[in-house]
Amino acid sequence: MGYRQRHAIPDLGVGVGLRTPHVAHVLRDGPPMDWFEIISENYFADGGIQRANLERAAAAYRLIPHGVSLSIGGTDPIDPGYLARLRALVSRVRAPWCSDHLCWTGSGKVDVHDLLPLPYNPETLSHVIDRVRRVQDELQVPFALENASSYMEFEASTMPEHEFLAELSERADCGILLDVNNVFVSAYNHGFDAEAYVDAIPADRVLQIHLAGHTHKGLYLLDTHSDHVRPEVLDLYRRALRRCGSVSTLVEWDESIPSWDVLSGEAAVARSVRDEVLGATSKEAAWGASA
Amino acid sequence: MGSLRLDEVQALLVGAVMHPAQLDADAAPPASALLRPSARGMTRASRLEVYREQFWIRHLASLTEDFSTLRWVVGERAFDELLRGYLQAYPPRGWNLQRLGADVPEFVASSAPWSADPLAGDAALLDWAFMEVFDAPDAPPLDLRVVAAAPPDAWPQARIAFLPALRRVVTGHAVHELRAAVKKGEECQRPLAAPTHAVVWRDAACFLHAVAVDPVAGELMRALLDGTRLGEACASVAAAHPAVDAETFDANVGQWFQQWTANGWVCAVDI
Repeated sequence: MGYRQRHAIPDLGVGVGLRTPHVAHVLRDGPPMDWFEIISENYFADGGIQRANLERAAAAYRLIPHGVSLSIGGTDPIDPGYLARLRALVSRVRAPWCSDHLCWTGSGKVDVHDLLPLPYNPETLSHVIDRVRRVQDELQVPFALENASSYMEFEASTMPEHEFLAELSERADCGILLDVNNVFVSAYNHGFDAEAYVDAIPADRVLQIHLAGHTHKGLYLLDTHSDHVRPEVLDLYRRALRRCGSVSTLVEWDESIPSWDVLSGEAAVARSVRDEVLGATSKEAAWGASA
Repeated sequence: MGSLRLDEVQALLVGAVMHPAQLDADAAPPASALLRPSARGMTRASRLEVYREQFWIRHLASLTEDFSTLRWVVGERAFDELLRGYLQAYPPRGWNLQRLGADVPEFVASSAPWSADPLAGDAALLDWAFMEVFDAPDAPPLDLRVVAAAPPDAWPQARIAFLPALRRVVTGHAVHELRAAVKKGEECQRPLAAPTHAVVWRDAACFLHAVAVDPVAGELMRALLDGTRLGEACASVAAAHPAVDAETFDANVGQWFQQWTANGWVCAVDI
C-alpha cells in the first residue's frame, strides 16, 4: 500500500499561501478557495492578531502548516520547544499533514533563516533520516519534506538530490512535498535534467505539490515567489501530475504580492492544468476514496 | 576540506553567509572550497554570495519594519549602519524572526556612536516594547465580580496581574508621541527631553497602543508587575513621595485602578 493511501492523505485541490495582504478579505468575504497553506512559524505565538486570525480561518477553510525553520538537516539539536509549538498548531487547525524543507537553517545556535542545501552523501542521509524519525514521532501526523531551491552544490555530494530525497523518504517513511518550481530552478542552477528529477521521485510519497514564480538573475534563477508560474514550470507540473495522480497543489506568492483576483486567477490556472491532466472530478474522487 | 564533519561544514558556511562584505573570487572565504563552481560560470564564491546577499536583505528588512521610530531618529543611512553593526554583534538566534531585534535596545544603549543619543535609546526601547506586545500571550478579561465581591480589608493583600501583552517603558522623551507621528507619516521634529512613563499594550481587538501615565502610577505599576502585594506596593511608592498626603495618594490609587481596568490592562486580581 502506498504512502498516501496508507495515511489516507486527501487531495485538497488547489490552494494558495495565506499571506497578510489577503487575510482581511479572506476572513471578511470568505472567497472560494480549496485550501490555504500557512507558514507554521507565523502562528506559533500564544496570542495576538495572528492567532486570532488563525482561529477564524481554520473555522472556514482547510489549513496546512508549512514550516521554514525546523532545520531538519542541521547539526544543532532539534528545538523541543519548536516541535511542541508545531504539534500544537497541527492540532489546532486539525491538519492532515504538515511539511518543512530538506535543508538546514543555521549552526552553532545561529539561525540565518534561509534554506541551505546539504551535501548529498550516505553520512548526511543517515543523519537526516534519524532526525526525520524523531520529528514524526513527536508530530503524530504525516510529515513531508520539500525539495528546496538551491544555488550551491557540495564537492562532498556523491548522489543527486532526487536520489537523496527518494531514499530519505523511503527509509524515514515520510512524505514528499514536490516543489516543481524548485526542481526547475535548481535544475537550471546545477545543470541537471528537471524531468528526470520528477520521474525519479517516488510518486506515492508525494502528498503535495508547490508551484511558484521565479526570477532570472543572469547566471542563475532565484526562487523569489514574486511572479506568475512560468509555462515551463507548468509543463513540469503536468508531468508530475501524470506520475503522482490526484495530489493537493499549492500556489506560492510571497514577494510583490498581487491582488486577490490575480492570485486566485493563478490558482485557477493550476486548477485547469489539473483538470486537463486528471479530469475535472479528480478532487471529489479523491475525497470519496479517502472518506 | 572533504573530511570535515557536517557540523564543521555548516559552521564554515554560516560564517560566510553572515560575512559583512561581498564575496567574490578575490575574497573567497574558506567555505567556498567546499563547493563546486556552477556549469553556468558562477564561481564558488559567487554561489555563496547568493546566500550572503539574501541574509542581509532578509534581516535588514525585518529589523527596518520593527524599528520605525529608531530609524527616524538616526536617519536612513545611519540606521542601515546601525543594523549591520547590530547583526554582527548579535547574530540571529532561534527560529523566531519576531525576536530578531530583542537586543537592539541594549546594543543602542551600549555602542558608540548610538549610545551618545538618548533619544535613539528611547526609540529602541519603545519600538521593542511594541514588538513584544504584538504577539504576547492572550489573557482572559478581568472578572469584575471578583473585584466587586472583595471585602475592603482584603485589598492590601491583593496581587494585581496585568495583561501579558503590556509593557511599561520609562524614557527621557515622549517617544510614544514621536512613534505615532512617524507611523502616520507626519512631519516630525526631535522631541525635547521629557521624562515619560509610557504603557504599551495590545487591546482585546489586537490593536496596539501607547499612552503616558502619571509617573507615580508608573512606579506603582512597576511594583505590582514585580508581584508585590497591593498594600506593600502602595506603602513603598507613597514613602518615596512624602509630599503627597496619604488621603490624596489613596484617592489617586483608586483612580488609577479604575483607569487600568477601563483600559483592559488588569486581567486578574488575586485576593
